[in-house]
Amino acid sequence: MAILHHSGTILIITGLLFFLSGTVGLIRFPDVYSRLHALTKADNVGLGCVACGLALQSNNWAVAAKLLLIWLLVLIASSASCHLIASSAMQKNIKPWMRP
Amino acid sequence: MLFALILLPNITVGIFRILKGSTAADRMMTAQLFGTCGVAILLLLSAGMGNPVLIDIALVFALLAALATLTFIRRTWE
Amino acid sequence: MTYSILTLFDIILVLTLLWLGWRLLSSEDIFTAVILFISFGLMMALAWVRLRAPDVALAEAALGAGLTGPLFLAALRRMNRTRKGERRLDDHENREEDQRTNPEQTQTL
Repeated sequence: MAILHHSGTILIITGLLFFLSGTVGLIRFPDVYSRLHALTKADNVGLGCVACGLALQSNNWAVAAKLLLIWLLVLIASSASCHLIASSAMQKNIKPWMRP
Repeated sequence: MLFALILLPNITVGIFRILKGSTAADRMMTAQLFGTCGVAILLLLSAGMGNPVLIDIALVFALLAALATLTFIRRTWE
Repeated sequence: MTYSILTLFDIILVLTLLWLGWRLLSSEDIFTAVILFISFGLMMALAWVRLRAPDVALAEAALGAGLTGPLFLAALRRMNRTRKGERRLDDHENREEDQRTNPEQTQTL
């Protein structure tokens, strides 16, 4: 049990690092597409790490299944909205950022 | 508990992007960040406060966070 | 230890809520205000969770994120069909103080 608990804590800390990098990317990146890339990918990996860590720490199969279901739902929702935002920005002729 | 405390300033910093954001999509993406981070904070709080009901609220967050973005793409940002 | 961490969490949450509300009320662009309102709803749900009212938090999450935000966003398009560019609340509104100070400008509108 102690091994499960500690590996869960390590997973949660990894997830927090991913969240942090996603927010730094959202603040610092230059255009819509790169911000979208930072936000969607990094945050979903972070949420997956947090959900897996909490599922390892919980002693209940139902709770763990619910956590993974939440991750799956967020994954579907955010990938769909990322695709919509990117294609809509392309239709509006927003140029991707190039190295000057 | 400590992990949720670390994630909360993460959200607070995102408000700068709402206020600064060059296009409307940037502002909408920050709302998406709020949804994802809110789900993570609720999950960590449910472990920290020992209240399994909070997982259901996180489920509602996850289900409804996409609605605002979909409406924004289909209706507002024509 | 746990209590001090929770107190710090509450303080940051309250300060973020106050800042969000202030920026929401003082912003001139309506679209920014709508996004800030959606964010405010999400943070308010967290605040209800910390006040140990998970049922109210559930209602707040469903209403704030799922119902009010998309309604506002859909209403925004109906509003600015007439005019592109910066969206101001009081764009075509005739106010009494405008007519008092500057009658010619309001007549041309």
